[in-house]
Amino acid sequence: MSEKLFQWIANSPLADWVVSSPYIWPTLESIHFVSLCVLMGSLLVVDLRLIGVFREPIARTVAFLIRLSLLAFAVNLSTGVLFFFGYTAKYVNNPAFEIKLTLIAIAGLNALYYRWRLPNLVNTREVTRSSIAVGCISLALWSGVIVCGRMITFYAR
Amino acid sequence: MTLGLGRTLNLLEYLANSQFSYWMSVSMAGFPTLIALHSVGMGAAVGLSMAVTLKLYGALPDLGRYPVQRLLDVATWGFTLNLVTGLMLFIDRGPEYLASGIFLLKMLLVFIGAALTLVVRQRVRALASPSGTLVDDGVARVMSLVATIAWFGAVVTGRLIAYLSDLYR
Repeated sequence: MSEKLFQWIANSPLADWVVSSPYIWPTLESIHFVSLCVLMGSLLVVDLRLIGVFREPIARTVAFLIRLSLLAFAVNLSTGVLFFFGYTAKYVNNPAFEIKLTLIAIAGLNALYYRWRLPNLVNTREVTRSSIAVGCISLALWSGVIVCGRMITFYAR
Repeated sequence: MTLGLGRTLNLLEYLANSQFSYWMSVSMAGFPTLIALHSVGMGAAVGLSMAVTLKLYGALPDLGRYPVQRLLDVATWGFTLNLVTGLMLFIDRGPEYLASGIFLLKMLLVFIGAALTLVVRQRVRALASPSGTLVDDGVARVMSLVATIAWFGAVVTGRLIAYLSDLYR
């Protein structure tokens, strides 16, 4: 089933387009990396506040940066899907890619926990054990996502 | 002068043929790990430089002087990680990197980004108002914007090294 799906992806018009010009892949990679920096910078500000590196109430900043990080993530996801279409064999059964996707999923759950339990914390000067955990986990997960992303090439079969 | 350049190239040739360079090319803890850590440092340095620029242009109004200082401190740590891993990656193939135009362009952009970020960091320290907010400073704002553009340029040129040079072929 998944074998057929991967074959269909690899033979699709979108896959043909991604490899149709030597300029497309490097351009997509450049966009992916720029967007990654926007995502990392936005999340770092929020995470450092949750950890207590600074304690100022920054609710408006956090609201803006979460929107920006979602936009950056959407760009990363789109370019990532195009990479998968363009070179499916590189990603299928690749442990670095599988761990990267798992870390992104856990980071999503961590963000949901923040929305559920700590949405008003950034209106105050408060730092709790729970906020420190959310901030540290987020930093570790996204750093892991970057590391695994870079490792995909070295684990490709 | 020529003699100095010759000696430097000899040293780089020596390093590129050393045991360290061999380890870099065969071990997963070598090139792959260093390039991955290089990317983590890049995300922190470039991303936080962008956040400070957004602050100086008014997009993050409730971010005060103290948090901005802390963000610039963390950005400096990110850049330090980049510098250390970047130097180790450079040692592996020094002469080849120096012959690559796209690498030299990246280095120029890194230099501009780092130098301007350091100046912005110093100006932010000096821009305290009694309430802890940042005093509006047009020079710091423009420098921060140019630094962020240079950082993003360095990210793109860094990625293009793989395509516009023979280093990874």
